[in-house]
Amino acid sequence: MENRRKIKMAVIFMIIIFLFPLIFILSRKEKFSPEENRNLKEFPEVSPESILEKKFMEDFEAYLSDHFPARLEFIRTKMDMERLSGKDCINNIYITDDRLIEKLPKPDYDEVKRSVSAINNFAENYNTEVFISVVPTSAGIYQCDLGKFSPQINQHKFITDVYSELNSNITAIDVFNTLASASDEYIYYRNDHHWTSRGAYTAYKHIIPKLGFSAVDESLYDIEHVSDDFRGTFYSKCLYDGPKADIIDIYSCINGFSAQSVIMNDGLKNSESDDIYFREFLKKNDKYCVFLGNNRAFTDIRTNVDNGKEILIIKDSYANSFVPFLIQHYSRISLVDPRYVKGSIEDFADPNDYDQVLFLYNASTFSQDKNIKTLCRNCKFN
Amino acid sequence: MVFSSIAFIYFFLPAVLLIYYIAPLKLKNLILLVSGLFFYAWGEPIYVLIMILSTLVDYTAGRIIDRFDSKSSVRRAALALSILVNLGMLGVFKYSGFAAGIFGLEISALPLPIGISFYTFQSMSYTIDLYMRKIKVQKSFINFAAYVSLFPQIVAGPIVRYEDVQNEINSRKINIYLLGEGAGIFIKGLAKKVILANNIGLLWSEIKAMDYGNISAATAWLGILAFTFQIYYDFSGYSDMAVGLGKMLGFNFPENFNYPYISKSISEFWRRWHITLGSWFRSYVYIPLGGNRKGKFKTLRNLFIVWALTGLWHGASWNFVVWGLYFGFIIIAEKLWLGKWLEKLPTVFSTAYSFILVVIGWVLFDTDTIQNAFCYYKAMFFSGNFVDSLAVYEFKSYFIVFVLCIFGAGKWFSRLLEKCNRNITGTRIIENAAPVVQAGLLLICTAFLVDAGYNPFMYFRF
Repeated sequence: MENRRKIKMAVIFMIIIFLFPLIFILSRKEKFSPEENRNLKEFPEVSPESILEKKFMEDFEAYLSDHFPARLEFIRTKMDMERLSGKDCINNIYITDDRLIEKLPKPDYDEVKRSVSAINNFAENYNTEVFISVVPTSAGIYQCDLGKFSPQINQHKFITDVYSELNSNITAIDVFNTLASASDEYIYYRNDHHWTSRGAYTAYKHIIPKLGFSAVDESLYDIEHVSDDFRGTFYSKCLYDGPKADIIDIYSCINGFSAQSVIMNDGLKNSESDDIYFREFLKKNDKYCVFLGNNRAFTDIRTNVDNGKEILIIKDSYANSFVPFLIQHYSRISLVDPRYVKGSIEDFADPNDYDQVLFLYNASTFSQDKNIKTLCRNCKFN
Repeated sequence: MVFSSIAFIYFFLPAVLLIYYIAPLKLKNLILLVSGLFFYAWGEPIYVLIMILSTLVDYTAGRIIDRFDSKSSVRRAALALSILVNLGMLGVFKYSGFAAGIFGLEISALPLPIGISFYTFQSMSYTIDLYMRKIKVQKSFINFAAYVSLFPQIVAGPIVRYEDVQNEINSRKINIYLLGEGAGIFIKGLAKKVILANNIGLLWSEIKAMDYGNISAATAWLGILAFTFQIYYDFSGYSDMAVGLGKMLGFNFPENFNYPYISKSISEFWRRWHITLGSWFRSYVYIPLGGNRKGKFKTLRNLFIVWALTGLWHGASWNFVVWGLYFGFIIIAEKLWLGKWLEKLPTVFSTAYSFILVVIGWVLFDTDTIQNAFCYYKAMFFSGNFVDSLAVYEFKSYFIVFVLCIFGAGKWFSRLLEKCNRNITGTRIIENAAPVVQAGLLLICTAFLVDAGYNPFMYFRF
């Protein structure tokens, strides 16, 4: 009896430990995992240095797990087991009935302080009006849904604390309450970390009067649903498909102004487009990139508005779905994403040339950002 | 390489088993040696040389001790050389920074070679036992080197003495029954490490990183209980995996853990926890010092030495020394009077006594400094804040993992199996179900390993 069990065990064990490596060796190695939205590891380089520094071993192990047979099924199994065991947070993504939420990471307060003083210096240094809006992420607005989850950073407090450190010549625009009161509407994606076009429009209605314009009424916009099967970054992290897939809307102003040219610079070379929408991304996984494409250092948009008003936006990707609403107000909208700027902002744009500068960030990026402080490298007041 | 990795389970292990099983008998030890060196070099591509050095020295010392059987001065010199080299390496790599610190110096300590505390102790057991004429010399260098670099036990124990495998290293049975039995034990260990230890460890790593001044008592207790189970399932899981792999290769390694958390005293706990380490210190330190046969004072002195060393073995810093002495004190108290008193208590109380003292000890063990440990004790015992929402949330999130951990730490499961085995139907059910359950566990562990998350190697300080 005992021996029959041992033979069975031996056979099953050998089948399992030989079958998987066999399939592994025979299978084709994909380069990209669309579900997780990341590149898979390639076979690492073999060299005496890479072996002695253990880099080869580490990369090789990552290569093995990235191409392991039935990898996604295994990962889903793991997530299911974790959820069964009572966890509602998987790879830092919280699962609720309606949506996935990423808790705001603990702010890097030293960096935040440096960013704030860089912005203060910036405003002293350049002869232009400076505005800032730090936008809550969905974790801030749906904090109540997180009530049963572990304690988290109060985003509104974080934002107002940042604002209180800013010099008085900077106009801080708090959109927290505006967004919170619209929390019943579809203002954040359920499976991605960005706000929706409606979220951006809600904030726009609050921000644009401070910039000196009156908002264009929603009834003047034609709303086009360009995708209804978007599952973004949150999904890629936890592969949980419980919440409904997301809808991406493009707002076009009927008989309004439009972008004439979009010049893009990724820090190396220029490219040009005549549209702010990049619909080819709708076929890919990261559909949010329909708004202005991939993140890059510098984007320069010229419109057919002839008031000569120019705005420079220093931003993260939240601004990409916000910019379409500014097309009705400015002749020129330039965007700088400091995360991709290697040298100085002045390599791309001189802030003195603009009527207004707007810092537009979500609270999560702002709480961790290490790049804003490099903006003011050439500032006098450092 | 670590056992709980895709690279080990699905690439290294099948390759080694395949070559090992088809190779002729004479070559099997050479294959063990080569695979052991490869296994070690995968994690320590440079320090593998140190292991080879230690092997060469102990092999040579062994030959000399054997060759000059009648010349006690030569024998003594050879033994001294072996001990000096082994302890010297431990001293340089593990304790030099700590020792310099005592004298107020700061030197940049070398990174610690993985498993050095295990393999130096193992190969020292060979020369010491040979000197004591307890074992026969190993004349084949390959056989001796295969013993030292035997991959199942090299990085995290059990501390297999040469004595334990002296017959098997020369000739051993290898068959499908041992393979099946070994596979079962290996999977049990893997599941302990990957499913229980890694998951509950996530809770501890979260709480450990918090500011101890601001956590509630419930959070502090939850955190250290999580570590209590993490270290047990991690360490005993590793030992199980080693024992299972040993069986696949034809070796019978000694047991290293025997339900330590159901002990009824601290003395019993240490007879059930990391058994091979305790017995190593008993054989090579406590008894040579005179053990308990030379009067009360010397017994106390010997106990102190052994427990300070046991603490220090776990890591080169004061918190480990204090941790070791903490158990030394309790064990002395138990020997003097507490033990008799404990025996009279109902099992529930004596088990609780032992468990709680062990848990309190783990704070010293894993909060890195004595200062941190005291801050943590403050949170556990004197926090004004009993329960906060974090504790409730974490309790809910980890409730099932805790239940599994508690269930596995007791003997309930093995008793249940025993009962089933008593009648024919039960045996038949087990015969069919066990392989399926074990295969399922292996696949679940694979799922946890493929999504490489939190999978720490906890013995880097040993």
